[in-house]
Amino acid sequence: MNNLVLLVALPLITAFLLPVINRVSAFAGRWSGPLILLITSVLGISLWSQLGDSAVAVELGGFRPPLGITLYADQMAILFAVAASLGTLLLWPNGGADPVRQSTLALILAASGSGLALSGDLFNIYVFYELVAVVSYGLIAGKATSGSYAATMRYLVVSSFGAAMALTGIALVYQATGTLNLAQLAQLAPTQLNNIQGLAAFVLMLIGFGVKAELFPVNTWVPEVYATAPTRISALLAGVVSKLALLIIVRLLVLVFHQPEALTVMLVLGIMGVVSGELAAWRARDFKRMLAFSSIGQLGIMFIAFSIPGKAGVFAGLAVALHHLVVKPALFLLAERWSGSISKLAGAAKTSPLAAGLFVLLALSLIGVPPLPGFWAKLLVLVELSQQAQALYYLGAFVILAGAALEANYLFRVASRFYLTEKGQTAPATHRMPELATASLLCAALAGSVLMLTPLAEQIEDIASQAADAAHYIQTVNPETLP
Amino acid sequence: MTPLDHLLLLSALTVVVMLLIGNRQAAGWTATVLYAAQGVALLLMSGLGYGTTAAIESAVTFQVLEQALHWRFDALSWFFALITIGAALLSSWFSAGEWAQAYRRRGGSLRIFHSALALNVFSMLVLLASGDLLSLFIGWELVSWASFLIMALGGATANRYALRYLSYAFAGAMAVLGGLALVYSLVGSFQFQALKAAVPSMDSASLWLLFALFGAGFGVKMALLPFHLWQAKAYAETPGPGAAFLGAISSRMGLFAIAIVLVQLIGIARLVDMPVPFSFLSARDLLSWIAVFTIILPTFTALRQHDARRLLAWHGIGQGGYMLLGLLIADDLGSAGGLMHVFNHATYQAMLFMSVVAVIHRTGTSDLNQLGGLVARMPLSFVAMLIGIIGLAGLPPMNGFVSKWLVYRSLILDGSPLLFLGAVIGTLGTILSVYKLIHNTFLGQLRLEHEHIEEAPLSMILPMMILSAVVFITGYFPGLVLDWVAAAQTSIGLPPLAHHLGGVATEKGGLDMIWIVSILLAGFAVGTLVFFSGNRHKRVHQLDNYAGGHFLTAETRYQYSDNFYPGLMHLIGPWYRKSFRWFERGLVSVVDTVSLAMQGLYRPVHPSFYLLVVVVSALSWAVTQ
Repeated sequence: MNNLVLLVALPLITAFLLPVINRVSAFAGRWSGPLILLITSVLGISLWSQLGDSAVAVELGGFRPPLGITLYADQMAILFAVAASLGTLLLWPNGGADPVRQSTLALILAASGSGLALSGDLFNIYVFYELVAVVSYGLIAGKATSGSYAATMRYLVVSSFGAAMALTGIALVYQATGTLNLAQLAQLAPTQLNNIQGLAAFVLMLIGFGVKAELFPVNTWVPEVYATAPTRISALLAGVVSKLALLIIVRLLVLVFHQPEALTVMLVLGIMGVVSGELAAWRARDFKRMLAFSSIGQLGIMFIAFSIPGKAGVFAGLAVALHHLVVKPALFLLAERWSGSISKLAGAAKTSPLAAGLFVLLALSLIGVPPLPGFWAKLLVLVELSQQAQALYYLGAFVILAGAALEANYLFRVASRFYLTEKGQTAPATHRMPELATASLLCAALAGSVLMLTPLAEQIEDIASQAADAAHYIQTVNPETLP
Repeated sequence: MTPLDHLLLLSALTVVVMLLIGNRQAAGWTATVLYAAQGVALLLMSGLGYGTTAAIESAVTFQVLEQALHWRFDALSWFFALITIGAALLSSWFSAGEWAQAYRRRGGSLRIFHSALALNVFSMLVLLASGDLLSLFIGWELVSWASFLIMALGGATANRYALRYLSYAFAGAMAVLGGLALVYSLVGSFQFQALKAAVPSMDSASLWLLFALFGAGFGVKMALLPFHLWQAKAYAETPGPGAAFLGAISSRMGLFAIAIVLVQLIGIARLVDMPVPFSFLSARDLLSWIAVFTIILPTFTALRQHDARRLLAWHGIGQGGYMLLGLLIADDLGSAGGLMHVFNHATYQAMLFMSVVAVIHRTGTSDLNQLGGLVARMPLSFVAMLIGIIGLAGLPPMNGFVSKWLVYRSLILDGSPLLFLGAVIGTLGTILSVYKLIHNTFLGQLRLEHEHIEEAPLSMILPMMILSAVVFITGYFPGLVLDWVAAAQTSIGLPPLAHHLGGVATEKGGLDMIWIVSILLAGFAVGTLVFFSGNRHKRVHQLDNYAGGHFLTAETRYQYSDNFYPGLMHLIGPWYRKSFRWFERGLVSVVDTVSLAMQGLYRPVHPSFYLLVVVVSALSWAVTQ
């Protein structure tokens, strides 16, 4: 289990060596990044299979917490660490002005993403979060156009404000408890953070980490960045990085902040996210912007789902998150050649029938048409929502349903345009092979999961119940402190 | 593998085969044969249809998210499946010959058309087989998307209406899904039995919510008011035989779902117990009045249509109102009438659409102002349309009369004279507009450009003739259909109708169509005999004619089609306000405005401003605490 640290260290070291490697051999420079990510992904999967029912905590350098750095690996953490590696591998930034720099940044993104998923204390989480942020500025600006610079600049402003707020929240927590280790916080929280200061800390951290998780109202950077960034980076940010930020918030909720108000805040912001995202997407006339707004809506659904107390919420939210993790990157990959105005996409099915077919499949799953996985995830969320006593949860269910109705409208407005040819219009360009292959792979995973729905659901439920078990976390990290 | 699995497999196989060979010349015939095979598979289960065997379960079950999904066929499913497969068989036959070649010449893809039709049949069978609320919803979604697929095939205009349909249908589906979530929170299960058992103990508010969600969700498919705007145009623009199929059965899936959920599970008695606040109506009365307005308004909208396909499609909406009205009375006569009307309507509606498509095939138009006099060139299509409109208007000796009689009779017995009056007003509108249809298409003088038109090809004529025979025979011997209807009534917990081959004989009143039709035919026979034996008669050419005292020559042809019924329109014309269109547009504008505001939230200049607001409010909150 000491291999756990390799998930973070390997890509990080490779990233720093990459300029040197590239100097020696351009071939090695080109391929070492994907190779390392492949290795870490395989490593992560093998760790997953060793893991079983109980989680593992690793103390770096042998220092006991609270002094040492703790890595905590339960199934959910490894799942998202693998998602970070594998996602970066699949969405590896090819092309661009400076491939070596892009590769370096992508490797750091994978490393810090894994670190984010595995970290067991708030300080490391903050460090990795900042690292992800800084790396993503570089990646977003990879196109080196004025538009992308402007978008990056705005993203930078929002993101650093968010980081500052998260840091304030962490400071509040530290001030109240004197520790940043999550396991210790989990023990201290019921007595020392179950007050207004704890709530304030949570809200600050929610908004701070929410910047990456596309939480309303700190998601204003999303449409512009996704529309101007390289497609693969948009896919990576929308698909993987947003989920990593979400993971932190879920961990905080499970372990530290048990106030019902915390859940209510998240629920309200989630509802606002769905409403604003879906409505804005309905009106969007630019394909990538539409996907960006739709992603805001989907993240809103996840926030609503995670605001359901207990294991049920984690289960439902995780199902939606994993679904979105597969679907949104694939959609962005298809958008590579379809960026710009939707009205220019007429007849796209003639030139790239496979891509159009994949889009229809993805759209159907996204809006939740049975028997595709998106439906089951949505059903799960709705069923859990309907069992809550608070009326606000019913509002959440209503908003999800209404949002899906809008989503069906705008996604199929696009899809039906693909299959119509207008006179005197040139069909958009065909897709490049790498994008199409990756999107097909993701679609195959999606379609394949229909066949193994039941084992998959059981697996996710396992992950959720492990992740929602705060006592298990404390026990794993600090065996002797638990009575 | 049970017989139900065979049927579903065969239906799925049809989809696959059509995907593989749908572009071949013989695809249409292959599809027809495969639908016939499905028909045979269905007939092997005919014990269900007559209520002699118990429900057949499918061997396929799923366990997803701790929910058991299963599928089964009972008498009601069998009855609807019979109509579905019959409509598919004849529509596919109709499409197999010359129509397919013409469709391909126009640039349509036969592969997609045939696959879409097969997919529609398959999804409908899956829906009809649903054994719990979750499988009902899955079938519901499949049917919605399959309909969307076949509607969207007809080019840009069709696409626009198909998208409009999709907006309505998916919103409806989401209402149903909301209903499902509500059922789960109240009952803790998606099984029919569990819901049925829990209904008596439910409080009025949640029952109202359930009623509204399911009623609206399923009502969208039936195009109940106020969700009716999508249907006529979407059906009309569907490629010809597809329109015949959809018009015959597609929106009846909504009736099927209502029969299952509102009639079988919640129960009409419970609906009667739910008073509408601040009024003297119950939930059932509310729905009945919606049904009556669904009869009246779309039927009179049909009266104003200039396109034969739209005219028929608007009638389809109106006729759905009769079915719902009959079903809601829930006594033996009324519900039998409602269910029988599903069968009857499917037969004549498919035939009418086919007749119109045959005319389009020959003349290239269905514009009622550009046709006329075709009876001399297309006599068999004329006969089909004539029989069809008699059925649609609900006049003897066709089958539409029987079902409408049953509905009327039970409305009177039920003590609902106003509902009865509404239904009769609807029938009046039907008679007026079907006369317009047949007059403007087939009667009057032949247009110059149609001089050289021939009768539709045999591949189109034969299905129409078969349907004519069905419409007539089931009007002559309604007991044939009432057998199935009575079994279906029993399966959803309604009292079965006591009937015999010629009609009904209950203490509430009797109807013997064998007598009525025989006397009618005898009267015709006597009249014909007198006409041909006694009088001098001469054969008059179609153009040898006069109007208003003017002789008409072959140069100035008499064609009275534009501004039909001017006197009537003078009276009721101002009533057409397009209020629903106005409402729909208003709704879209509201959503558009709100979404504009939401997009405004994401304007690139705003982020720093928001952050300032968020920070200041968070800080001030923290300080004041």
